[in-house]
Amino acid sequence: MRLSSKARLVPVALVTAAALVACTSTGGGGGSAGSDGDGGSAKLTVWSWDGTVELAVPGFEEANPGTTVDVVNVGSSSDLYQSLDNAIQAGTGVPDLVMFEYFAVPYFAIPGKLTDLTTLGAGDLEDDFLPAAWNNVKLGEGVYALPSDYGPAAMFWNSATFAQAGITEAPATWDDYYEAAKKIRALGPDHYIAQDTGDLFFLLSLIWQAGGRPFTVDGTSVKIDFSEPATKKAVEFWQKMLDEDLLNTKVTAWSDDWNRTLNDGSLATQNMGGWLTSTLPERAPDAAGDFRVALMPQWEAGQTVGAENGGSSFGIPEAAQNKQAAYDFLEYFTHGDGLQPRVDAGAFVPSAKVLDDAAFREVPNEYFGGQATGAVLAEASKAAAVGWQYPPFFEWARSIYGDLASPLYTSGQGSLAAVLETWKQRCIAYGNEQGFEVS
Amino acid sequence: MAALTHTGPVAGAPAPASTPRRMRTRRRQIGWAFVAPFGALFALVFIVPIVYAAYLSLFQERLVGGRVFAGLANYTKLAADPQFWDGFARVVRFTLVQVPVMLLLAMALALALDSMRLRGSKFLRIAIFLPYAVPAIVSTLMWGFMLGVRYGLFRNLNDWLGTSLDPFRPGATLVSIGVMVTWAFTGYNMLIFYAALRAVPHELYEAAAIDGANQWRVIRAIKLPALRGSLVVTIIFSIIGTFQIFNEPQILPSMVANSGITTYYTPNLYAYNLAFTGSQQGYAAALALVMAAMTIAIAYAVQIRGMKRALQD
Amino acid sequence: MPSMATTTSPTTRRTATPAARGRQRHTIANPRKNGMLTFFTGLFAFYCLLPLIWLVINSTKSQTEFVTTFGLVPGERFALFENIAAVFTHDDGIFLRWLLNTLLYVVVGATVSTFLAALGGYALAKLEFTGKRVFLFVVLGSISVPGIALAIPQFLLFAQVGLTNTPWAVLIPSFLNPFGLYLMWVFAAQAVPTGLLEAAKIDGAGEFRTFVQIAMPMLAPATVTVLMFSFVAIWNNYFLPLIMLKDPAWYPLTIGINQWNKLATTAGNGELLQNLVITSSLLTILPLIGAFVMLQRYWQSGLTLGAVKG
Repeated sequence: MRLSSKARLVPVALVTAAALVACTSTGGGGGSAGSDGDGGSAKLTVWSWDGTVELAVPGFEEANPGTTVDVVNVGSSSDLYQSLDNAIQAGTGVPDLVMFEYFAVPYFAIPGKLTDLTTLGAGDLEDDFLPAAWNNVKLGEGVYALPSDYGPAAMFWNSATFAQAGITEAPATWDDYYEAAKKIRALGPDHYIAQDTGDLFFLLSLIWQAGGRPFTVDGTSVKIDFSEPATKKAVEFWQKMLDEDLLNTKVTAWSDDWNRTLNDGSLATQNMGGWLTSTLPERAPDAAGDFRVALMPQWEAGQTVGAENGGSSFGIPEAAQNKQAAYDFLEYFTHGDGLQPRVDAGAFVPSAKVLDDAAFREVPNEYFGGQATGAVLAEASKAAAVGWQYPPFFEWARSIYGDLASPLYTSGQGSLAAVLETWKQRCIAYGNEQGFEVS
Repeated sequence: MAALTHTGPVAGAPAPASTPRRMRTRRRQIGWAFVAPFGALFALVFIVPIVYAAYLSLFQERLVGGRVFAGLANYTKLAADPQFWDGFARVVRFTLVQVPVMLLLAMALALALDSMRLRGSKFLRIAIFLPYAVPAIVSTLMWGFMLGVRYGLFRNLNDWLGTSLDPFRPGATLVSIGVMVTWAFTGYNMLIFYAALRAVPHELYEAAAIDGANQWRVIRAIKLPALRGSLVVTIIFSIIGTFQIFNEPQILPSMVANSGITTYYTPNLYAYNLAFTGSQQGYAAALALVMAAMTIAIAYAVQIRGMKRALQD
Repeated sequence: MPSMATTTSPTTRRTATPAARGRQRHTIANPRKNGMLTFFTGLFAFYCLLPLIWLVINSTKSQTEFVTTFGLVPGERFALFENIAAVFTHDDGIFLRWLLNTLLYVVVGATVSTFLAALGGYALAKLEFTGKRVFLFVVLGSISVPGIALAIPQFLLFAQVGLTNTPWAVLIPSFLNPFGLYLMWVFAAQAVPTGLLEAAKIDGAGEFRTFVQIAMPMLAPATVTVLMFSFVAIWNNYFLPLIMLKDPAWYPLTIGINQWNKLATTAGNGELLQNLVITSSLLTILPLIGAFVMLQRYWQSGLTLGAVKG
């Protein structure tokens, strides 16, 4: 009978409603922290998409009885930043520790949404971290986050594909890279030395390495300049690679296609942050034993200048409830005993202590054909040149870069330099609208 | 909205004039009582937020300086914003092509099913309706593969035909999105039309048979008129839906390179990016409200035209 | 994209009449089957099913094989059960929690919203109250407002009352179904004869009793339709829960699966869980398919609605 289907649902609904009421009274409100106190009983909420942070929790809880740490994945990158903004605006559900990519730190620090960690004791930690990483979290006199992982720009190259093209060593300079690119391209219609579909982070790391410093930030005053000779050198080189069809403009990084093209060897190199070592084995299982890590090619033979390509840190929101306890945990997993379980799981941390540790450097990485990747990446990290700054509205700026770069990559009209110039104009307009002084 | 029926009681028949005043007032109160739960919820979940959104649209947010009152500045900015108009034009173009194609397809399928000349019609019905049940994230993943030119089905297609078609070339992306949307919603609309056809009284068919009408005449004279009403409504709601396209342009860029999908590809996507990466909530609110107003205007216009035409017969 | 079901009074329907005395007689009600028509319709059905076939095939592959083999070809190993086990055990079995959450949201949400829509639709069709037209216009207009505009204000509002990050933040908005209201209104106007209601009231029944005992049974077909559509909508609800919930313990399936997927596409240490995403998507769709098949027969009568309001 028709009515019976509805009637059947009513008791189900009642039971679920009852269960719901029961659940809400016990569970619910996961975001707001528990009682306050330092050393006393506290419940910390940590927002992180980095899976290794959780590994430091058992050790910390053991050493600090009464404190519980809850690591929650509320989304990656932009999703997380928006959630944080929402929570701060609403005044509830603000976590105690939040993960930030380096460029996002000024974005939250400047409007005063982050606690200055020097008030909690972070000032003493400077020497224990990589200078380039520290530079990212220190704004003026204050420190707004502690670096938790780092991406030294590195080149991952497929030795098997290179061997097919008759090359046995990683290209040491960009000129070598260019020559290698042509040989690899000749291997087949699908073979390319690298991919680029408008990768802003890579382009910036290239500029960084060449010595360009397009962004200068001083308080709320920002200068953008892409006309420095070093910047131009980098941009022109990459433009040449684009013009001569040496780059795969159809495969976007982090997509399923990208996984497959790394897997079958048709993508010969990937210039990226060092953290790729942890995820490459899953993405390109058939290429096990073929890939190697090397420093990014240099502009001049014999140099060792590096750059940064991503990385993240953790900060404490100003509106958080348990700041002292949060700082204790933060220090623990970025600087203290919590580092080791994370490193064992493959995290690449910008801690001077870890990077200098022989044990870390000498572990042979089976996927990379037994290469001691730790050593290479530690070198690359040390080599990262300092002095780089991100504009405080980078989160927005990076989102529109794609709009501007895309036409160039699909139709070949225009140039990278023109794209950067337009991007600069848009940044100036946006920045000024947002209250900064940008020029 | 007036009723258009060919059978059945007239809607909302007025109470007999002899009903005493007291009873009529009481009835009115009861009427409100019935509608109150819905109404209260509506006020809470819709009215209050939308008033707040309108309020927000009068402000601009700055990273330095917080929220600042800006009057109608957001609206004037919107009127002059080429990105907004680009997105709007795109959504209009999309609607003008996709909606007719999808509805014609849905009608044809409904007619085919209704003709009862199909084998396994129950299975066919469910199969065609299924895409509607698939969540957007899953279907975009699936389509990303199907239309993939490097490792997907299209690679095989190209190899076989010797072509180099790319469904995500900037010029072709909108068409591909159209394919995805049509895939998802044709079944839904088909079912609506099918229901309308199923309700046609048997006597009409018998009369037609006596008159010696052939299949095509039956369709033209009986079935199509029966679909007219549901057509107007499906058109309206399809327009509303396509004006709000968001999922596909939001998910695709992470899977496909350089498809021409910008952060302002559709107005809804633009609003989302403004609010969520640009922290410009006031501007996003203004945009959303303007889009809503335009959508309502267009839907209303279609409905009026549809009604007029229907009443003309 | 909501579209509408048409309404009618239950009139005679055409059904296939059984063959008379063993000899296949082709009548209007039972015409000869057309092969071509079946073929073309079948082609379209295949097109509809193809992505789902992809889903099934790929949920039998392990992560490694997913990355290394062609999409429509099964892998060497049959890993479906492994994948299913992995889906349920990953991250301390949070998938089961997500599944239960979704069931909660759907069952409660669909039932309550359909009931409220029925109440309201009936009132609009059969009862009087001032402001009917305005009410209807505003409610229907609300469908045109993009969810984006409302999301953040709704979030702030709920935060004020302390309901964010609780299941109420997902349920309460889902209780509102303007489209359902419209459907119930149209159907109630058509299918419930006012005369019957008058008779009941003369007999002394109150308005509510009249509604429950007389109108509701007659509204059953539309009720089932609204229930089903709302079931699907809530099951696939993504955007608002994303904003309202920060505690993975309360996520519905859509958000959970999406997060797993994002791990693969975000730069950094994210794990590659594509096989879990695909398998869990399959598991997510199956209940919906089951519900459809079960409710098919209600649909036969439910959607037999003829006259349409323009």
